[in-house]
Amino acid sequence: MTRTTQITILVVLLALLSLFYQGLWGDPRHIPPVLVGTQAPIFQGPDVESGEPLSSEQFKGKVILVNFWASWCQECKVEHEDLLRLHEEFKDHPEFVMLGINYQDEVPKARAYLKQYGSSFPHMRDVKGALAIDFGVYGVPETFVIDQQGVIRHKWIGPIVGDVYTNLTKNILTPLLKGTEPTT
Amino acid sequence: MSRLLPMIILLCFAFPIEGLAKTVDETEIDERVREIAKHLRCTVCQTENIWESGAPLAHQMRDVVRERVTLGHSNEDILIYFHSRYGDYIMMEPPKHGFNWLIWLGPFLLLLGGGVLLAREIKGWVTRTPAPPTEVLPPLDEESRRRIEQELQP
Repeated sequence: MTRTTQITILVVLLALLSLFYQGLWGDPRHIPPVLVGTQAPIFQGPDVESGEPLSSEQFKGKVILVNFWASWCQECKVEHEDLLRLHEEFKDHPEFVMLGINYQDEVPKARAYLKQYGSSFPHMRDVKGALAIDFGVYGVPETFVIDQQGVIRHKWIGPIVGDVYTNLTKNILTPLLKGTEPTT
Repeated sequence: MSRLLPMIILLCFAFPIEGLAKTVDETEIDERVREIAKHLRCTVCQTENIWESGAPLAHQMRDVVRERVTLGHSNEDILIYFHSRYGDYIMMEPPKHGFNWLIWLGPFLLLLGGGVLLAREIKGWVTRTPAPPTEVLPPLDEESRRRIEQELQP
């Protein structure tokens, strides 16, 4: 066997091994989301703080930013301040709505979290975890942007901080609210 | 009393039959939930299916499967629903299309490639092994023959 053949075999084997490794143990956040570009599910549930029923139907025709979070999630704490900043930046736009979805949590702990870190937009409870499954959620935090037609236009797994925040506000939300196509 | 006796006997039979019917239905639902859940991958534990996983998300997914089975959805419909939410990643058996073919055919291709390489190597060894000498040896002279025969004598 020539030296070239040996090197080729080694490279092919390593490539296959890395593919299998990525497939079996890779980080799910790098998997292309299948829901982007599809109609968002209609969702409803009680408000975390008041217990009053909330439904996505109330926000029909608006750009909705949906953020899945939990009080036990460390990365959610990291992004919380930025989420409040994002809401402050866009809250006056008549077509903008922001909604938190509290995932796999206990109500007292979720309420205490909101009290401690602040809350300026409504939060819905995902009582049985079915909402998260409807949105194809892997873990928290995950953020979705739904356009005026009810189509999911963007998904991000992980905290909304730094460049992610800039990309979300400048390239996704601003164009959608202006009625133009978002850029990634 | 004699008139009531058949009714009492009938009631005794009626209640266990109803209970048995419920048990059978429940078992069928459980079996279907298990069958479907074994086809779905736990997205947070990654190498387990949602039937075997103890993760809260897997538990919630099992609940969704059970709810849909109870509502009368077919196994295929339920699998399609999960696939529409999570894509190929959720399926324990990757669907046979596009890049996934590599997973299905990869092991066989490796086996085939390995077999071809092994055959080539064996052929190389055989070719490189020196052939036995083909030259004709000179015949024994008379003196040597006699000496050998003497030595062979008991």
